[in-house]
Amino acid sequence: MDVQYKINRLEATNDIRPMVNRHWAELRTAKERGEKVGWASGPSFMFPYAMGMKCHFMAGYASYCGGIGAANEVLKVAEMTGDLPETCSYHRLHMGMAEAVRKGISIMPEAILPLPDLMVAGRYCTEQSHYAEGLYRRMGIRVVPVELPFVFRKEDRLMIRDFVYRQFKEIVIPTLEEVCGKPFDYDRLSEILSILKKTATIRNKCWEFFKTKPSTWTLWDYAVSMAPVIYMMGDPVGIPFYEKLLKELQDRKEKGIPAMAPEGEKYRIYWDGWIPWAFLGKFMRKFTPNGALCIVGRYPWEMFPHPELLDPEHPVDSVVDYMYGEQAGLAGNMAPKHSIEFIGGLIEEYSIDGLVMFSSKSCRMWNLSYLDVIDTLDKRCGVPGVVIEGDMIDQDMVSDSQIETRLQALFETIDGRRKRK
Amino acid sequence: MEKVLSKITEVTSDPYAYVAELKERKGKKIIGCFPMHIPEEIIHAADMIPVVIWRSNESVTWGHAHVPPYDCGITRSFVDDAVRGKLNFMDGMVFHVRQCLQVGEFPLIIERNVKPAYMEILYLPPIYQGDPIKSYLLKGLESFKASLEDFSGKKISDDNLKKSIEIYNENSSLLQKVYEIRRDRPGILKAKEVMQIVWSSMLMPKEDHNELLKELLREMEKKTVETKKERIKVIPVGCLCQTLQFDILDMIEDLGMIIPDDDLYVGSRYFANKVRLNGNPIEALADRYLIKTPLCPTKGVWDVHWGDEVIKKLRNNDAKGIISIRVKYCPPHTCYYPDFKSKMIEEGVPEVMIDMEHEVISLEGMKTRLQSFAETMGGV
Repeated sequence: MDVQYKINRLEATNDIRPMVNRHWAELRTAKERGEKVGWASGPSFMFPYAMGMKCHFMAGYASYCGGIGAANEVLKVAEMTGDLPETCSYHRLHMGMAEAVRKGISIMPEAILPLPDLMVAGRYCTEQSHYAEGLYRRMGIRVVPVELPFVFRKEDRLMIRDFVYRQFKEIVIPTLEEVCGKPFDYDRLSEILSILKKTATIRNKCWEFFKTKPSTWTLWDYAVSMAPVIYMMGDPVGIPFYEKLLKELQDRKEKGIPAMAPEGEKYRIYWDGWIPWAFLGKFMRKFTPNGALCIVGRYPWEMFPHPELLDPEHPVDSVVDYMYGEQAGLAGNMAPKHSIEFIGGLIEEYSIDGLVMFSSKSCRMWNLSYLDVIDTLDKRCGVPGVVIEGDMIDQDMVSDSQIETRLQALFETIDGRRKRK
Repeated sequence: MEKVLSKITEVTSDPYAYVAELKERKGKKIIGCFPMHIPEEIIHAADMIPVVIWRSNESVTWGHAHVPPYDCGITRSFVDDAVRGKLNFMDGMVFHVRQCLQVGEFPLIIERNVKPAYMEILYLPPIYQGDPIKSYLLKGLESFKASLEDFSGKKISDDNLKKSIEIYNENSSLLQKVYEIRRDRPGILKAKEVMQIVWSSMLMPKEDHNELLKELLREMEKKTVETKKERIKVIPVGCLCQTLQFDILDMIEDLGMIIPDDDLYVGSRYFANKVRLNGNPIEALADRYLIKTPLCPTKGVWDVHWGDEVIKKLRNNDAKGIISIRVKYCPPHTCYYPDFKSKMIEEGVPEVMIDMEHEVISLEGMKTRLQSFAETMGGV
């Protein structure tokens, strides 16, 4: 008889929704309290935070809208107001929301943010600043853009690091001082990084439980828990949240409770690319009946994976080194050549059986040279992979049958290889 | 004029054969530059021949084993050409990986499958405010120069680089003259011939192209054109880093419209800005890159509206309408387009957008759109 797989849900992750809701509610009401509001893309929101601004984070807002079921109607507003459907869905989401505010179009109230006093437009993905350009053109919103290149060759890292550091020090910080009318608060930035360091250190202990066989939690559990180590950084509530999560994972391990009932996962899957925020349940239902569990991925591992390298005494250097440091070098992992080394490491560390590369039709940021990356990793590590196509939040770009067919092919390939061993 | 145009057609109808033969004939290395912002002058000064990489006319086959169908046409076509070995005559390739996300596809695919002897990556920055941008750009260009010196085994002196800049500037001046004559006498050349003239400049050694242009200009100056007043002047505009199907340009003209100018890369943008000859030549090249106009949506320009620039061009040419040509899956253009369109509506400028795909384009559907566009402007 076929095994009936199902997911054992964690208790601790129930705490995340109220925390996240509070974060966005505080941002929504910031202007009522006379607080300055920022919007930020790329990992640059910590600078407005340090100045006491309430600040949004582009991908964080998209995940929030996806989670509360607001994405579809906001995307429709963007289309109604001129955006073309193939445009990056995060871009469309922001243009749709801003146009809804400007033109008084009704959308879910929780999705409405105050328009910012300043946009810190980190251009990490080359397309990421277009939304800020658009809002500047349409609404005259002040923008401070920052170029944040991916590092394609290791020998270019230092040149780029120096450039990014100078942009933060010479452009972003003085602009924030001007907008806020006070000197930049380096002490607060240090404090934010101290809290982040503690939170991410506990989070890393939780990551260890992905290594156990069977795993005691799923990548989706972690995905919904990421806010405290990214856009909620500096908020101390992340520390007790991850402590509680850690305790629950330890309990599970001691009691032999796997993430996937009845006896754990049949396939341990690496997930690459964005998290499909608006469709977590839908995607889970494609994996779970097959006994497949997503347990690790490049994007979720982007959130300060090396807290030991964070140095609150040198906060600006720390932020820059998070992306461009020799040891962490997040921006290097974005380049396909280096992503191979990174993913190869995760395959070994987490005993991966197969790779699922989630290719977003409206955003190629994580998807560069996917087919060559899969082929290289298959040859190097003996782990097969497939590309599935969809989108982070746009339901019109998700085709169930295509995804199911490809996942089935992956599971059959893994089975075939296991038999031959 | 026919002789010159026939030479240009020969070059552009089979650029693979032309460039391969050029390499043999000149005994020089060929460096393929992925469009649009690579400073070719530095390659020229290293005594190699820079050619701008082009989109093929064939359907993508092997390339789809490396890139998805929702990458733009030139991305897929270039990868397809490369992995099929059609570009093996290129000794080197240069990619500016911060132009758009899709250029980031190339370094791994090319290195892993068909690595040329020389492959260079440029990270040209967007034109943002502040000193860090220019000093970073200068470092990038110096590093590019050093890598070319290393590969060619030839030191690039300031004098050599200035000589190359001079040759390129002359080419720009000559192309500008071609455009001026066309502006005065629209119809003197067909739109597709003009595009071929610019494209051939991207493929030929500039010295040879300059001679060809001088001959062409002599002929053009002699030629008179019957003025057809009923023709409606339109300006094609786009962010495409490739040629468009010549059939589209023919169709525009067959529908009673005429093109006196354009805002296209394989068009007026390629030669719009010359490089100053005084001072440090690398700095002069950086300064040329940092000029905000003609506006390119890949360069992060905030304070100049593309729509305003295009309207200026429209008025300078006494044109009536804008034809936006958008390459399918081109994020920079796609993101900018709603604001461009709004500006056209705000200023009362007739505008139509047509989508261009690499393989399949519905010419019939496009014809209907263009025909009704021409009719709304009172033509045909």
